[in-house]
Amino acid sequence: MADVTPRPPAPSSGQASSTLGRSMSIKGELSAKEDLVIEGQFEGTIDVAENTVTVGPQGQVKSEIRARQVIVHGSVNGKISAREKIDIRRTGNVTGDLQAAGVAIEDGAYFKGSIEILREGRAESAQARPAVSQRAS
Amino acid sequence: MQARPGRSDTGIGSQNAPASSFGLRWLWEYAQDIPRPYVLDCGPIRSATLNVLLGRSGRLYRGDLISPLKRPELWDRTRKTPVFRTELLLAELPSVAPSSLSIVFCWQLLDLLPREALADVLLQIHKLMETGAVLFCLLREPRLETGADCLWQLDGLTGLTRTHDGMAAFPYPALSNREIDRLLPTGSVKTFLTRSGWREVLVVK
Repeated sequence: MADVTPRPPAPSSGQASSTLGRSMSIKGELSAKEDLVIEGQFEGTIDVAENTVTVGPQGQVKSEIRARQVIVHGSVNGKISAREKIDIRRTGNVTGDLQAAGVAIEDGAYFKGSIEILREGRAESAQARPAVSQRAS
Repeated sequence: MQARPGRSDTGIGSQNAPASSFGLRWLWEYAQDIPRPYVLDCGPIRSATLNVLLGRSGRLYRGDLISPLKRPELWDRTRKTPVFRTELLLAELPSVAPSSLSIVFCWQLLDLLPREALADVLLQIHKLMETGAVLFCLLREPRLETGADCLWQLDGLTGLTRTHDGMAAFPYPALSNREIDRLLPTGSVKTFLTRSGWREVLVVK
């Protein structure tokens, strides 16, 4: 029978990447200048601003993530900021606020939180919203 | 508050047949002066809906109140009569500042909620809406007996599609506009009838 276990895609940038293996559990601050694949557990902050973070199907992250691109197959609890795109796949489970130039969530994924799209390089601030006037229906 | 049935009568698209929704047309026309509204989507994740709403909203909040209704743990069965645990369902809402939302999509949620939970859920959503905000609901007509399991999605700002018709029977009697009206502290109810057996009901706070 074919192995249908979902697997995270290889980091797309072609750059070097590091993998936090399934049996690994780490707390702390992580910063890197290469792509990162998380198959284990991580708690803290992740800053790979110019690279891609991929949370594998078994990965569990309780963390704020800052990256160029974030792909989630596993579980993330925390704020995610991506300069380019956040991609939550069908098996993904995310609770937190997302901020990115683009966000895609596949049908079947779990997501609770808010999404703010960065437009022209910056998120629109809440203060920029005009007050809503009440109207008769 | 007044219930005002609309004059429009359009079908709501079934699978592969998106139809232009009169209710959605009214909604976006009403919200045209809000450049980037804060929107809450309370339905199951549909990527098509997400794409549409992300293009129009300043911030999109998501918390699925419909899928969890199937979970057995939402019922306290330790008592003689099972009690619905509304607080567990409401925990599925994201953190949203009171009076901050301009538009809420709750799809067919109200038809699926145990009647004892209706008031609390509606009041909680109502609290999150700013004055003038709109709650968009789909309510079945009494003649529609099955379809509790259907999924809705937006195909464009005014295109509304059911991904399938749904075979599951509705668990509770159909709600009237008057009942919705009575449960809300303030607001008005606007209804658009369709040929499909669903009413597009918009509550303006």
